[in-house]
Amino acid sequence: MCRVRRVCVAALLLLAAAASCALDLKLHDDEEEDEDAMFQTPGGDVRVRVSGRALVPGVRAQDWVASARVLLDGDKHVGFLRDDGSFTVSDVPSGSYVLEISSPTYRFQPVRVDITTTGKMRARVVNYIKTSEVIRLPYPLQMRCIGLHSYFIPRETWGWSDFLMNPMVLMMVLPLLIILLLPKVFNPSDPEMRREMEQSMNMLNSNQELPDVSELMTKFFSSPKSHAKAGGGARGHRGGAQSARGGASRRKIKD
Amino acid sequence: MAWLVVRLAISVSLLYAASAVFEDQVGKFDWRQQFIGKVRFALFDTHSQASKKLLVATDKNVFASLNSRTGDLFWRHVDKTGPEGHIDALLMYGQDAVVVVGNGRLLRSWETTVGGLKWETVLDTGSFQAAALVGVQDLVKYVAVLKKSAISLHDLSSGSQIWVENLPDSDSVQYQTIYSGGNGVVFVLGVVPNSHIVIVEYKIEDGEIMNKKSVEAVWMSSLESSCAVVSSGILLCVDQITQSLYTLPLQSAEQTEMRQIHLQMLDLEVVSGFRPVLTSTQPNPAQPPLSEFFLQLSPDHHILLQFIDGLIAPLRDFNPSYLAAFATSGERTVAAVMSPKNDTACSINLFSADTGRRHLDTTIIYHMDPNGGKPNRLYVHAFLKKDDSVGYRVMVQTEDLTLTFLQQPGRVVWMREEALADVVTMEMVDLPFTGTQAELEGEFGKKAAIQDGLLPMVLKRLSSQFILLQAWLAHLWKLFYDARKPHSSVKNDVTIDILSRDEFNLQKMMLMVTASGKLFGIDSKSGTILWKQYLENIQPNSVFKLIVQRTTAHFPHPPQCTLLIKNKDTGLGSLYVFNPIFGKKSQISVPALPRPVIQTLLLPVIDQDYAKVLLLIDDQYKVTAFPSTKNVLQQLQDTASSIFFYLVDSSQGKLSGFRLRKDLSTELIWEVVIPTEVQEIVAVKGKRANEHVHSQGRVMGDRSVLYKYLNPNLLAVITESTDTHQERSFVGIFLIDGVTGRIVHEAVQRKARGPVHFVHSENWVVYVYWNSKFRRNEFSVLELFEGAELYNSTVFSSLDRPYAPQVLQQSYIFPAPINTLEATLTEKGITSRHLLVGLPSGNILSLPKMFLDPRRPELVSEQSREENLIPYAPEMPIREEWFINYNQTVSRVRGIYTAPSGLESTCLVVAYGLDIYQTRVFPSKQFDVLKDDYDYILISSVLFGLFFATMISKRLAEVKLLNRAWR
Repeated sequence: MCRVRRVCVAALLLLAAAASCALDLKLHDDEEEDEDAMFQTPGGDVRVRVSGRALVPGVRAQDWVASARVLLDGDKHVGFLRDDGSFTVSDVPSGSYVLEISSPTYRFQPVRVDITTTGKMRARVVNYIKTSEVIRLPYPLQMRCIGLHSYFIPRETWGWSDFLMNPMVLMMVLPLLIILLLPKVFNPSDPEMRREMEQSMNMLNSNQELPDVSELMTKFFSSPKSHAKAGGGARGHRGGAQSARGGASRRKIKD
Repeated sequence: MAWLVVRLAISVSLLYAASAVFEDQVGKFDWRQQFIGKVRFALFDTHSQASKKLLVATDKNVFASLNSRTGDLFWRHVDKTGPEGHIDALLMYGQDAVVVVGNGRLLRSWETTVGGLKWETVLDTGSFQAAALVGVQDLVKYVAVLKKSAISLHDLSSGSQIWVENLPDSDSVQYQTIYSGGNGVVFVLGVVPNSHIVIVEYKIEDGEIMNKKSVEAVWMSSLESSCAVVSSGILLCVDQITQSLYTLPLQSAEQTEMRQIHLQMLDLEVVSGFRPVLTSTQPNPAQPPLSEFFLQLSPDHHILLQFIDGLIAPLRDFNPSYLAAFATSGERTVAAVMSPKNDTACSINLFSADTGRRHLDTTIIYHMDPNGGKPNRLYVHAFLKKDDSVGYRVMVQTEDLTLTFLQQPGRVVWMREEALADVVTMEMVDLPFTGTQAELEGEFGKKAAIQDGLLPMVLKRLSSQFILLQAWLAHLWKLFYDARKPHSSVKNDVTIDILSRDEFNLQKMMLMVTASGKLFGIDSKSGTILWKQYLENIQPNSVFKLIVQRTTAHFPHPPQCTLLIKNKDTGLGSLYVFNPIFGKKSQISVPALPRPVIQTLLLPVIDQDYAKVLLLIDDQYKVTAFPSTKNVLQQLQDTASSIFFYLVDSSQGKLSGFRLRKDLSTELIWEVVIPTEVQEIVAVKGKRANEHVHSQGRVMGDRSVLYKYLNPNLLAVITESTDTHQERSFVGIFLIDGVTGRIVHEAVQRKARGPVHFVHSENWVVYVYWNSKFRRNEFSVLELFEGAELYNSTVFSSLDRPYAPQVLQQSYIFPAPINTLEATLTEKGITSRHLLVGLPSGNILSLPKMFLDPRRPELVSEQSREENLIPYAPEMPIREEWFINYNQTVSRVRGIYTAPSGLESTCLVVAYGLDIYQTRVFPSKQFDVLKDDYDYILISSVLFGLFFATMISKRLAEVKLLNRAWR
C-alpha cells in the first residue's frame, strides 16, 4: 500500500514537471509569435495581430467557440476563436481599441488594446470615464469568462410563507387570534378576574394623555398627504386592526 | 458617500423602470430568423454517407454550415463587412474547409463539425486570383494560393507557409488559374491578352520553377470560365469568335501552339454575343480531372463532351437546358441537368458522366415560383444508395435568392429566402377584419343607417348578431374537430385566408423590401412568409421608399401600398402599387415619372376612396400627385397654401423650403446654406407622422408645468466636419423649422465624429457620436420646452411662434459601440418611451428614456426626487436584463422598426440586419392586461374559500341562535 502511494506521488511530480515544461515552451512560442505579429503594408502603416486566449472554466471550448466572435471596436475588426479558445485578430492598424468577446451565453470583461505606430502593444482595463488611466493587463490577452449572461429577471413567486410573514397579514391575523382566544383564557364572569381587570383599567384611564383610539383613527384618515397616498391604504388597515383590538377590550369591560 | 447615494438612487429607479424578459416568455411572442445571404460557394460534405453538412460561403461575408435535411444552421461565422471580409474561395477536404478571405489577405481553416477555427495565416498583400488544393500521391497535403504576382503553398494541417515564389513577368502577364493533378507539380496559367498564354510549372517540394513556356493564343482575352483543364492535364479553351475549341497538353515541352478544333466539326455553334463556358470536374484534387466536360453554347444549351486521345466527342446534347452540374460520390461521377418542362416547371435528370446515359427514375420536378425569379445555380449532392445506384439531391438558387432543396421525385425538403438577409425598408400594416367583423363595422359605418329608420336598423342589428353567432358556432365546431384529431396532424399553417386582426391588434403584416427587389409579406406573430413578389429589372443600386397610402380601416376598399423605386445614379423612379395583405399588384394606373424624383410627401389629404395623397417632387420642382383624380386636385387647390416641403442638397450643403401653389407648381420660401467647406449634411430627420404625444408638459416638483415645445414641422439636421483630424473634427446639429426655415437651435460637439445615430421624437432629439478625444461613444439629448406657459395652446403654427424655446442638453458616456438607434412607439403615447439600441454584438438594448433626461440633477433635491429624476451619472448603465432579445442575437443589425399595437402598453419591434427578430416590448410593463403569470387558481380558490366559509359560518350562526332561543 505504502509503495503504491509513493509511486503515485512520483507520478504527480513528473506530471507537474511536464506541465511546467509545456508552460515554458508555450511562453517561448508566444515570444516567437510576437516577433512576426507585425506587418508593414506597402503604404507604410503598421498592421499587427492581436492575439490572446479566452477561457470558460468547466466548459469544453468546442461547445461555445462556434457562436462566439472577437470584436474590436464593434465590428470594425473581427476575429474567430480556435478549438482551444485562443484567438488572433489579424491586420489591425495602430490605434486604441476595445476588444470584447461576444458570445450569446458567456460573459467576458472587455479589454482595451493600445497599438502604437511602431507596432508595440499593451492591454489595459477599460475605463470610459478616466480614459487615460492605465491598469495594465497581461498580453497576450487572457480573457476569462466572468459568468453567464443573466438576461432574465425571475418571476415574483408566491408562497404561503411569504404571505403569512407579510406584516399586513400579521397585523390582521394576530388581533383576530387574540379576540378569539382571550375570552377562552380568562373567564369574564369570574368575579376575581373582573376586579383585577377593573383595577388595571382604572390605572390606564388615570393616564389622561393617552389618546383615544377613535381619535387616532380620525387623525390617520383625515391627513391624506398627497405624497403618501400609496401608504394611506396600509395605514388605514393598521388603524382598523387597532380599533378591533380596542373594541374587544372595551366590550370585555362592559361585561 | 455622495456616490453611494447616487448609486442607491439609480438602483431604486432601476427597479421602477426595469422592463425585462421573463424566462418563461422565451419564444412566446418573439421569433428570430437567421439568414446567410446570396450563396457564392456551396459544398456538400461527401466525406461520409450520413453527413448532413452543407457548407456555404456568401456575398455577405458569411461562412456557414447548413443541415441539408432541414435547412437550419449548424453554425455560422459572420465576418466583417466590406471587401476586408469578402470570401474569395472555399475549398473543402475531409473535415476541413479552407477559406480565402479579404482579397487573399487571410487563409483560414475551419473544423466543419463544430465550427471552430483550426488555423489562420496572414498572406502577403496582392490581389487574389485563385486557390487550389494540391495533392501528392493521392493525399491532399497543401493548399496553393495564387496572387497577382506571387504564388504560395501552405500546409493544410497547420497553415504554415511551405514556400512563396514571385511569378515571372507578373507586370505584363495576368496569372489567373492554378492547376495540380497530383504529380508533384503545380501549374500556374497566365495570359497576355490577345497575345499568348504563359504556363509556369512549380515543384511542390521547394517551389523551384521546373519549366516555363509561352504558347501563342492571339484570340484569348481571359482564361477564366472559357478555359478548363480536363483529362490528364490538357488545357481546353473555347473561343466564340473563331468558333473553335483549343487544346494544349500542359506537360509536354515541345508543343508550342494550341491545337484548334472547329466547333463546326462537332456540329456545334456558339450563339453570337454569348460567352461560352467550359465546366470540368476534378473529384479528387490529388488526381487529374475527368475527361468529360460541359460546354455551354447559349443560355439554354449545354453539351456534354469527352476528350479521348486528342479527340473531342460529344456524349450528349442537352437542348434546351438551363443548368448543368457535376457531382461525385465515391468513384462515380454524375451530371445533373436542368431542362425546362413547361412554363412553370423544370425537370432535373441525372446522367452518368462517362457515357452520358440517363439514369432511370432520377427525375426531379422543380416547380418555379410564378412570383419568383429564374433558377441560376444548381448544386448537386450525389450519394450511393444501398443497391449501389446513385441517388441525388439538388439545391437550386434562383435570381431572387431563394434556395430550394429538392429530393426525388420533386419533394421540396426545405426552402430559404435569402433575399431577407438584406432588408432595406419595412412597414407594418394592420390585418383586415374577418368578414363577420367587417359586417358589424359596416352596420355603423354607412350613412344609410340613419335614413333607414328604426325597424330596418333593428333588423340589421339582429341579422348581424345572427351572423356573429353563426361564426362563433363554426369556430367552436372547428375547435372540437381539431381536438379530436391526433395532435401531430393538426396543421398550424398560417394562410392569408384565415388571418384576421386579433383582439389587441398585436398581429400585423410585416412588409419587407429587400435589396434584390423582392417584396415579402410576413405574419408578425409566427414569422411565416405569406406572400412574396419578385420585381424584375431592379438595378442593384436602387433605393426604395415604402408608403402606406390606405390602411385596412377602409373596408371595402382594399389596403394600398406604394413602393417608390429609384435608381441611385440617374434618380429616375417608378412606382409599384400593391395590396399589402395579399401582395397582388394593384390595377390602378400609375403616373409616369419622366424626371428624377427628389422628394416625396405623403399628405393627410384623402381622396374619395380614402387613399392618402402622395406628392412626388421632381428635379424641376414640379409636383405630381398620386392619385390625381379631380377630387384630389380640387382638395390640393384648396389646401395648397398650407402645404410646405423641404429639399436637401448635401453636395451643396443647401436646405430649402418650398410651398405648393394652386397650379401644383412650387415657390421657394427659405433657404439655409451650410457651407460645404467646413461641414456636410449627413442626415435630416423629421418626426414620425404616426406619433402621438399624450401630455403637453411635465409637472415639476413645485407643481408648476413645464410645457413641451411640440413643433410637428421641426427637422433635425446632423452635420459632420469635413476635417477629419482628431482635434478639429466636430459634429453639428441644427434644429430647423421646416415651414419657416428658422433655425430653432444649433449645437456643436467638438472633438467628435460620426457615424451619428439619432432619434427625433416628441420634444427631444437623442444622438450618438464618437468622442475622438476620449475614444468612446457618447449620447447627447436635447429637449425643447416652451416654458411655464403655452403661447397658443389650441393649435401649433410655425408662422406664429414669437418666442424661441428653452433648450436643455445633457450628455452621457455609452460604454459600447452602436449600430442603430430607434425609439419605442405606442398607440396614444401615454407609456414611457424607451430607446432601442442595436449593438454590434447582436443584442438590442432597451434603454429607458428616463436616463436620457437633460433635467437629471447633479445634486439630489426634494423637488427632483418628487419628479422621479435620476441623479446625473456620466456613464450610462447597460444591464443584461435590458437586452430584449436575450440570446437571440441579431447579426449586423441595421435597422429597428417600431410600430404601435392596439394595447397602449405594447410596442411591436422588428430588428433587421442579417437576421430578422420580432418581439414586443412593454416600456412601462403590461399595465393594461393581466400579467402572464396571473394566478387564476389562487384568486379563484380564495373566492371559493370565502364563499364556503360564509356558508358554513352562516349555518353555525343559525344553529347557535336556535340553541340560545331554546335556552
